[in-house]
Amino acid sequence: MGVDFLIGLFLATLIVALFTSRLYRLILWYSMNSLTLGILALLIGEELHDKAMLITGIVTILIKAIGIPYMLKSFSHRFHFVRQIQSEIKVQHAIILIPAILVFTFYLAEPITHMIHGNANYVAISISSLFLSLLLMMEHRNVAPKIIGFLSMENALFLLGITATEGMPMLVELGIFFDLLMAIVVMNLLFHKEEVTP
Amino acid sequence: MIMYLLTIILLLLIAPLLLSFIKAVKMWLLYKKPVSLFQGYRNFAKLMHKETLISQEASQITRIAPFLVLSPLLVTLFFLPPVVAGAFYVSFVDAFTITGLITLSTFFLMLLGLDSASAFGGMGSSREAFIAALVEPAMVLTVFSVSMMSGDLGVGQAGVNLAAHFPEAHMASFLFAAISFFILLLAENGRIPVDNPETHLELTMVHEAMILDITGVYLAIIETAASVKFVIFASLFASLFLPFGLQFAAPVAAALFLVKLFAIAATVAFLEVNTAKLRLFKVPNLLGIAIVFAFLSLITFYVLGA
Repeated sequence: MGVDFLIGLFLATLIVALFTSRLYRLILWYSMNSLTLGILALLIGEELHDKAMLITGIVTILIKAIGIPYMLKSFSHRFHFVRQIQSEIKVQHAIILIPAILVFTFYLAEPITHMIHGNANYVAISISSLFLSLLLMMEHRNVAPKIIGFLSMENALFLLGITATEGMPMLVELGIFFDLLMAIVVMNLLFHKEEVTP
Repeated sequence: MIMYLLTIILLLLIAPLLLSFIKAVKMWLLYKKPVSLFQGYRNFAKLMHKETLISQEASQITRIAPFLVLSPLLVTLFFLPPVVAGAFYVSFVDAFTITGLITLSTFFLMLLGLDSASAFGGMGSSREAFIAALVEPAMVLTVFSVSMMSGDLGVGQAGVNLAAHFPEAHMASFLFAAISFFILLLAENGRIPVDNPETHLELTMVHEAMILDITGVYLAIIETAASVKFVIFASLFASLFLPFGLQFAAPVAAALFLVKLFAIAATVAFLEVNTAKLRLFKVPNLLGIAIVFAFLSLITFYVLGA
C-alpha cells in the first residue's frame, strides 16, 4: 500500500514537473521526485531486509533530494539564468501527448511484467516515467530544464533498478551516484557556456 | 431515512460556516483580525431584508435563474454518499449525473451573467464557460475512475464500498484521482489559483463578475448556491478520497465527517495564502494537469491494476 502510494507520487511529481514553466519550481518538483524515490528505496529495503538498499535510500535523499537541487539553484544564481522556461510543446498538445505516452508504455511493458513476479506494475510505471523525462528534455530549449530531465531519467532508471531486480549491487549504485556528481560538475561548464552565448 | 434527512439539513446548515471558516483562517494567517465564523449567516440575513432591484434591460431569466442555480445543487445534496453508517442513500446516481447537475447550475449562472446586458456579466460568463468546459471532462473521469475502483458505478454506493474495504491494491490510481479531484474542487468553487473570490478587480474576477448586477434576495440565493457547491465538493472529497470512520456510531461518524470537511477547508485556505492567482490563460495548465491525472488514474487502474 505504501509502496503503491509512493510510486503514484513519483509519477505525479514528474507529470507536474512537465507542466511547470518556472525553473525554481521545476527544481522543487525534481527534489520531491527524488525524495519519494528515496523513501521508496527505504521501504523496499526494509521489506527485503536489504541493508545496501537502505544505504542507497539515505544517500538518494541526501544527494538527489537536497544536494543536487541546492547546487542547481546556486548555479542558476551564479550564472543569472533565465528562470522563465517556456515549454516548446503547447499545453493542449501535452494534455493529449502525456496520456498517449503513458498508455503506450503501459502496453509496452506488458510482456516484461509477465517475467517478473511480485510488483510487476512498478516496471511499467518506471518505464513510463523514463519516457516522460525524455519528454521533459525534449520540450525545453534551455540547458537547465534539459539537465533536470536527464536527472529525472536517472531517477526513473533507479526506480527500475530497485523494483525490478530486488536491489542492484551496492557498488553499481554508488558508481551511479559518483557519475551523477561528475555530470553535475560537467554541467557547470555547460552553464558557463550558455551564459557566454545566450 | 431520518438520518439521511438530518445529514442533508446539517450539510445545508454548515455550508455558509465553511466559507466563513476559510476566510477566517486566511485572515488569521495574514495576521489580520479574523472574521466571525457566523458572518455567512449574517450576510444571508442582511441580504434577505434588502430591496431587490433588477436591471431595466434584464429579461425574465434574471427572475428565475437564481432558483435554477440553486435547485440542481440542492438535488445533488440528496445524491451524496452517506455520512453515517446505516443511513439511507441513493445508490444509482453515477458520475455523469452529478457532473451534469453541477454543470446545469453553472449554465444558469452563466445565463444570469449574460442577461443583465452589462459588459462585466458577459466577460464573467465567457470566462466561466471556458473554465467549466475544462473542468467537466476531468470531473467525469475522476468520479468514474473512483467508482470503478470501488466496484460500483453509483457514487453513493461507491462511498459505502470504499469505506467498507479501502482499495489498497489500487493506491496509485486512487492518488491520481485524489489530486485531480482536489484541483477540480479549487477550480469549480472559484478558489485562488483559478479565481479570487474576494476581489472586485475587473481583470481577475470570474464568479463575482457574473453576479455583479444582482441584489437582495437573489444575491442571497446565489451566495447560498456558492456555499452549497463548496459543501458538495468537500463532502464528495471527504467520502470518496478520505473514506474512513463510517463504521463508528452515528454521532462519532458525523463529527468525524465534519472534522474532515473543516480539514479540507483549512487546506484550501492554506493553499490560497501560499499561491498567487494564475493568469486566466494559464488556467488551462492547471486544469490540464487535472485532466491528465484523471485519465492517468483510469488507465493505471485498467491497464496495470495498480
